[in-house]
Amino acid sequence: MVGEEHVSMIPIAPNNVWRAKVNGRAQEILAPSNAILLDVLRDKVGCLGVKRGCDMGTCGCCAVLIDGEPRLSCLTMANECAGSDIISVEGLSNGAHLAPIQQCFAECGGSQCGFCTPGFLISSQALLDKNQNPTDSEIATAIEGNLCRCTGYQQIIQSIQAAAAIHRGDESPANPASDAHSDPHPSGPD
Amino acid sequence: MTDGYVQQPGSSTDVRVDGKRVAGKMSFNPPGSGGSRPEMAERDLDFIPEVEGGKEAQPAGHHQHDKYRTGTTVGKRTPLVDGNAKVTGQAWYGDDVRLANEIIGRIVRSPHHYAKVKSIDTSKAEALPGVLAVSTGEDAPQRFGVLPVTKDEHAMAVEKVRHVGDLVACVAAIDEATAREAAALIEVEYEVLDAVHDPKKGLLDVDDPIHWRGKYHIGSTNVQKRVFQEFGDRSKLEQARATHHGKWKFMGVNHGFTEPHAVVAHWDPNGRLQLYTPQQVPHYAHRALATVLDVPMHQVNVIRTFVGGGFGGKSDPFPHEMCAAILARKAGRPVRITFDREEVFWVNRGRHPSHIEVQMFADDDARISGFEIDALIDGGGFASFGHVTSYYNGVLATAPYELGSFHYTGARVWTNKPASGAMRGHGAVNTRCAIEVGMDDLAEKLQVDPIDLRLANLLPPHSKTITGFRITSNGMRQALERVREGSDWDSKFRQLPLGKGIGIGCGFFISGSGLPIHWDPNKFPHATVHIQIDMDGGVTVHTGAADIGQGSTTAIAQVVAEVLALPLEMIHVRSHESDTSPVDLGSYSSRVTFMNANAAITAALEIREQLLNAASEILEMPAEYLVLNDRRIYSKRDPAIGMSYLQALHKSQEDKGALIASGAYRTPPMGGVHKGAAAGLAPAYSFSAYVAEVEVDVDTGLIKCTDVWAAHDCGKALNPLAVEGQIIGSCHMGLGQVLSEQMVYGRTGHLQNPNLLDYKIPSVHEMPNVTPIIIESCDPEGPFGAKEAGEGPLLPILPAVVNAVYDAIGIRINDLPLTPDKVWAAIAKKMKREDLADSQDLPVPRIDFSELQAKIAKRSAEHNNRDGRRQRSEDTDPYINGVLFGFDPSIPPEEQDGDWKISVRPDSDQLESLGLAGSAWTKIEQRKMEDGK
Amino acid sequence: MLMPPFELHLPNTVEEACAIAADLLSSGDEFDWIAGGTDLIPNYKWHINTKPHVISLTKIAGIDTISMTEIGCMARLSNISESDSVHPLVAEAASKVASSLIRRNATLGGNLCLDTRCFWFNQTEEWRSSIDWCHKCDCGTGSDCRVIPNQNTLCVATYQGDIAPNLMVLNATVHLIGPKGERSVLLHDFYQLDGMTRNILEPGEFMLKITLPEDIADWTGSYRKLRVRESWDFPEAGAAAAWKKGDRGTLRVATTALESIPRRHDEEVASANGDVKAICDAIYKSTKPVNNTSLPPRYRRNMIKVLVKRACEE
Repeated sequence: MVGEEHVSMIPIAPNNVWRAKVNGRAQEILAPSNAILLDVLRDKVGCLGVKRGCDMGTCGCCAVLIDGEPRLSCLTMANECAGSDIISVEGLSNGAHLAPIQQCFAECGGSQCGFCTPGFLISSQALLDKNQNPTDSEIATAIEGNLCRCTGYQQIIQSIQAAAAIHRGDESPANPASDAHSDPHPSGPD
Repeated sequence: MTDGYVQQPGSSTDVRVDGKRVAGKMSFNPPGSGGSRPEMAERDLDFIPEVEGGKEAQPAGHHQHDKYRTGTTVGKRTPLVDGNAKVTGQAWYGDDVRLANEIIGRIVRSPHHYAKVKSIDTSKAEALPGVLAVSTGEDAPQRFGVLPVTKDEHAMAVEKVRHVGDLVACVAAIDEATAREAAALIEVEYEVLDAVHDPKKGLLDVDDPIHWRGKYHIGSTNVQKRVFQEFGDRSKLEQARATHHGKWKFMGVNHGFTEPHAVVAHWDPNGRLQLYTPQQVPHYAHRALATVLDVPMHQVNVIRTFVGGGFGGKSDPFPHEMCAAILARKAGRPVRITFDREEVFWVNRGRHPSHIEVQMFADDDARISGFEIDALIDGGGFASFGHVTSYYNGVLATAPYELGSFHYTGARVWTNKPASGAMRGHGAVNTRCAIEVGMDDLAEKLQVDPIDLRLANLLPPHSKTITGFRITSNGMRQALERVREGSDWDSKFRQLPLGKGIGIGCGFFISGSGLPIHWDPNKFPHATVHIQIDMDGGVTVHTGAADIGQGSTTAIAQVVAEVLALPLEMIHVRSHESDTSPVDLGSYSSRVTFMNANAAITAALEIREQLLNAASEILEMPAEYLVLNDRRIYSKRDPAIGMSYLQALHKSQEDKGALIASGAYRTPPMGGVHKGAAAGLAPAYSFSAYVAEVEVDVDTGLIKCTDVWAAHDCGKALNPLAVEGQIIGSCHMGLGQVLSEQMVYGRTGHLQNPNLLDYKIPSVHEMPNVTPIIIESCDPEGPFGAKEAGEGPLLPILPAVVNAVYDAIGIRINDLPLTPDKVWAAIAKKMKREDLADSQDLPVPRIDFSELQAKIAKRSAEHNNRDGRRQRSEDTDPYINGVLFGFDPSIPPEEQDGDWKISVRPDSDQLESLGLAGSAWTKIEQRKMEDGK
Repeated sequence: MLMPPFELHLPNTVEEACAIAADLLSSGDEFDWIAGGTDLIPNYKWHINTKPHVISLTKIAGIDTISMTEIGCMARLSNISESDSVHPLVAEAASKVASSLIRRNATLGGNLCLDTRCFWFNQTEEWRSSIDWCHKCDCGTGSDCRVIPNQNTLCVATYQGDIAPNLMVLNATVHLIGPKGERSVLLHDFYQLDGMTRNILEPGEFMLKITLPEDIADWTGSYRKLRVRESWDFPEAGAAAAWKKGDRGTLRVATTALESIPRRHDEEVASANGDVKAICDAIYKSTKPVNNTSLPPRYRRNMIKVLVKRACEE
C-alpha cells in the first residue's frame, strides 16, 4: 500500500558512465548515480560469482578486491570506486590453472554448498597477498566478516593454511586430499 | 584378441606415412579411456577390505558390498566433484539463472499477523508503466503442502493472511525498481483478526482458528496435530531410585543458509514450464507446481540449480515458486524472483519453538525405567513438515537407551508466525537435548559417571526399540569410548575449577525416512538411479538426488567409480533436471547417501556384469576369474591377461549401443503396526557422542565453547573429508542454537531480528576446536556399510554444552539459547539464594561415586562383549528393548507383563494427568461431537 | 535490495563539498553525507530516512590522516586498527568494530556520527509499515515511539559506536566544517541526548577530523565491549577507561551503547575518590538502557559494572 511513508523506487534514468577495470578488462557501463557496486557487478558486468547473501555487510559473500583490498561490494557505492582495479572470484585464477587458494578450498573441504566460497576466497587471497605465513588467529581475523553455514570454518582455515604453504613454496600442503583432481586443465600452460 | 584397441576393427594399420591420422580411423590412445593418469594405477590394497585380500581392517564385520570394492575411491578423502565450479564462481545458484528477456517479480506481503483479505485493488499497479503481470490468490485456488495429509498452503492468500510476511499478491515488471514500486501500489483491504502468538494459547478454543480442517478439526482450537504414545510398564516408575524433571523452553531457529531463496520461471515455446529453483526436494515442488498451475506433471521441468545451503529450509514446495510460474505465464516472459534476507525469515520453516517437559526415572540397578515426554511445538502459520515433527519430538528419544517404559504426548499448534518446518536434525534436536541433560542429572543423582551410565544402558546392534524401530548397526558404544578417551574425560569431569566445564551428550538419528510419503513403500522405490555409458566410455549417472553442498553428487559418483573401477573424473552425474532425473525424494531426512548410493550401486553392478561378461567372452575366461582395476579388466591370477575397460565396453555395446542400467532402492518391510509406527522408522540409524569443554565468565555469563570431541557413527565413511565436514558443520549449527541463535518475537508478535546481524550465527571466533572422530559400524544394508552423517552429528552438541556449563558453574539452564543474560541471571539468582557476595565463591559440582558405579561398570563391560559379537554377527539371537529388564526376546513383552502397554490414545482416566501438549487430547474432534459445528 | 533513487555527489575538496552542501541547503534540498557507507547504505536499502542527495567524502584527498594526535574523518578503521602510530586504545577500539571486512569500508567519521539504532527502526520499509512506523522514522505519520509507548517527543534509539567512548577518555576534540566555516568542540560535548538529534552537527556540517592532546602518548587505558559474537556485533554495552601512566588520579571513564549517546562519566568518577567499585555503582545508577538492542536492558545495565571494573584494571 502506498502512502506518504513509502519511498518511491522509480529511479532517475542512468546518467553516469561507470568505468573500471574488472578482472583485467576495462568496463564502461551506464549506471545510475546511486548504484551499488554489487548490483553493477552482478547485473551489468555479469560477474555472477559475486554473491548476494544479505545485502547488508553481514555475510561477506559479495566481497571483491578493490585495488587489492577486500571490500564488501554490497556496501560500496559503484561511483566511489570508479576507475579502480576490481578482482572478483572469476579473476582469481589466471589462465588455465586454479589459484592455490581455489585449489585448496576445493581439496580440503573449504567449500561445501559453495555460496559463501567466492567471498572467502577473496578475503583469504587478500590475506595471503600480504602474509604468506599466517597464524590461525590471523586467518580468523581475515575471515571474520565472512559467514559460512556449512563448514564450521575449520576446514576453511585448513584450506587457507594449505594455500599459504603453496605460496611459501613448501613441498606439500598441510592436508592434501588423497585423490586430488582439482586442476581442470592438467595439460594447460604452467 | 587384437594387439591394442582400435576404434574400427581392421583399421589399425591405416596410418598415413606422415604420421597424421586418417579421418575417423585413429587408434585410441591406450589406455585413452579418460582420467588424468596415463597409466593404470596399482590396486590400492589399503582401501580393499581384509576379507577380499586387502589391508582395510574390518573390526565391525564384513559387508555384502565388500566384493565390489576396487580400492578406487570409497573411504578416501575425496574433494567434491563440483568443487571447481564453486571455487571459480561458476556454480549457478537460483539468482544466477539469467534468461534472455527476463523480468523481475516481487511479492506483496501481509503487514498483519492475522486478517481476512476483504479486497485487493491492483489497478494502480497494473497502470504503472513497465508492469507486465499482476497476480493474486484468485489465480491459484489449489492448495498444496509438502505432506499430502496436510495441504494447507496457497500460492497467495485466498481468504486470510496468517502471519506478517504472508503472501498476498505478486507483480512482475521490467526491472526491480518498477516491480518494487508496483508492489507498493497494490491496495489491500484487511479485516484484522485476533492473532495467536503464544503456542500455549494455541491449545485453546477460539472463534477463528488459523486453519479449519472440517470434521477432523480438534475442537475449535489451533491444534494441528496431536500425538499420544505409551509403551512399556509404567507401574515401576514409582520405585525409581532417581528421577529427573526438566521443563524446557527452546526458541525457534532458522536455517540461516547463505543463499536467499530465488526462482526463475519460464514457459518455453512448447508451453512447458521450466522452473529453476534451489530446491532440496525438487520432486515435491514438481508435484505441487502441477497441482497449483493445473497442468500435468510432464509439462513441468524442475531444474535444481546449485543450492546455497539447505538444512531443511529449501525442502518445502514454496509459494514464491508458484508465483513466479503464474507471473511468467501471464507475462509470457521469464520471471525471476529473488528474496531479500528478511523474506527468507518470513518463509522460515526453521526449527519449532518448543515447550518440552521430560521426566526420567532410573531404578536401583541404574536402568532407565522410563521416559515421559511432553512436547508442545509452535508450528507457525502452516503445517509444512509439522505432522512428522510432532512424532519425531517423541519417538526419536526411544534409542540409544533401553527403556522400561516410554510415554509421549505431543501437540503442534498453528500460531500467527512464519511457519516452522524441517531443519537439520528434524524434530529430534530439542527433545534430545532435554533427554541428554536428564541423563546427566540422573547420573548425578545415582552418583555415577554419566558416560558409564549411558554405556550400561545401550541397546545393542541388531535390536528393536521399545516402539519397534529396527536398529541394525550401532556404533554408540565406540563413540562414547572414543570421546571419553580423546577428551581425557576421566581426569576432567567434575574436577575442573569454577568457570571451566566438560559435558557429554549423545545423538540418535534416522538415516532416511522409511516411508515415502507419496506412495506405497512396498510398490515404488524411494530412489532410482540411471547409468548410461556411450562409446566414449564416460559414465553418465542420472539421479534426482539434490546436492545441497553435503556432497551427494560426489558420493554417487564415488560409489559408481568404485564399482566400475574408473577414475572419478570419468563419472558425470546429471542431477539437475526432472526431465532427465529419475524420481527421487530429494535431500531430506538424511536419506541420500543411504538410498541413492544404494540405487547407484545396484545400477553400477548391472553395468559391471555386462562388462565382465564381455571381457569373459573376449578372454574366454569365466567372469569370476576377472578383476576390475583402474580402466582395466584382467585375470586375477595374471594381470597380463586382460584388456582395457573400453574394449570390454565396446564389446558389450555391440548391437545395442550405449549401456543403460537402472537401479532402485526400496526399504525392507519393518516396524510396528500401531498408528504412527512409520514415523521415525528408518532402514538404519546413526549414533553420535560428543564431549564439549566450555569456559563460562561468571561475571558476564558469556560462554565460550573451547573444544569438542565429536564421534559419529556413519557406518562407513565413503568420503572421510566430507563426513568430517558434516560433523564440524553440525557442531557450528548446533552451537548456534545452544548459545546465540533465536528468532525473537517481541511484545507485538513481530519477528524482531529478520537479518543476519541480529540473528546471531556464530562467527569464526565462536568456533571451538573440533576433533572429528569417525566411527564405522558397517551397516549391513548401507552402501558399502554407510549411513547418514549430515543431521545426527548436530544433536549431541546442544546437551554436551549445557552439561558442560553445569560442570562449570553448577547451574542447569533449561532455556535455549544460553545467551549471556540468561546465564548471568541464573548465576545472580543462585548467589542470592545461597547468599554469596562474590561470584568466585560459586560452588562447583563434584562427584562422589556410589556403589552403583562399580555395578554399572561391570554391566557395561559385559555389554561391550555382547555388542561386539552382535555387531560382527557372531551372535544373531533376537534382541528387543526389555531384555535388560529380564524379558525373553522371543516373546512379545506384552505377553510377559500384564502391565506392559502399547497405546496410541489416552484412556479417559488418563486425560486429567496429561501434560501441557497432552491437554490437546481433552478436546474432541469435530466429527465426534454430537451436535457437530 | 535496491537503493532508493538519489543523486550522489563526489566533491574532490573540502571546499567543494561545503559548496555543494551550501547549494543544496539554499535550494531546500535535503541531503546526507556518506563516508564509508557501512551505516548509511544499510539504512538506505531499508528506506530509512532517505534523502534525494548524498554527498560522498571518499574522493577528498588529505582527510584520512592517521597519527597519534590527529585522525581524519575518512581514515578507514582497518587502517587505524593496524596502525602503529595511533594511540593503542584507539587502535584497540577500532579493531573491535564489526568485522574485518566492514572495517575496510568503515571510517572514523562515520563511526563517531553513527546513527542510533533500535530494533523497531532498523528494519525494512515493509516491516516498519507492519508496526505502523515509529517515532524515529515516522514518515510523516506522527507515530509513537515503539520502545516506550505513548510518547513521541524523545527518541531513545541507542548509540552503538565503539570508538567514541575511547576518544572521550582521551579528551579528543572534534573539528567540524560546513558552509558557515570551521569549529571545534570536545568530543564529549559533541553528542546531544536524543536518538534523532544525536549531535550538534548543523545542516551542511560534517566532521572533518579529531585531534588529541599533545601528551596523549603518556596516557593508557582499555576498552571493554559486551557482545555475543566477536565479529559483526555492535556493542551491547561498552566501557572505556584511560589514565595518565602512573597517575590514577587522572582516571576518566566513558560508556557507550547504553543510551542515545556515548557519555563520559566525570561526575561519577569524581565522586568515587578513586574507588573503582564506587565508580561502577555510580555509573550503574546514572544509566538506564532501554529495550531496543539484542540483549535485555537489565542485563546490559548490570554489565556496565563489570565492564567499567575491567576497563579500569591496570
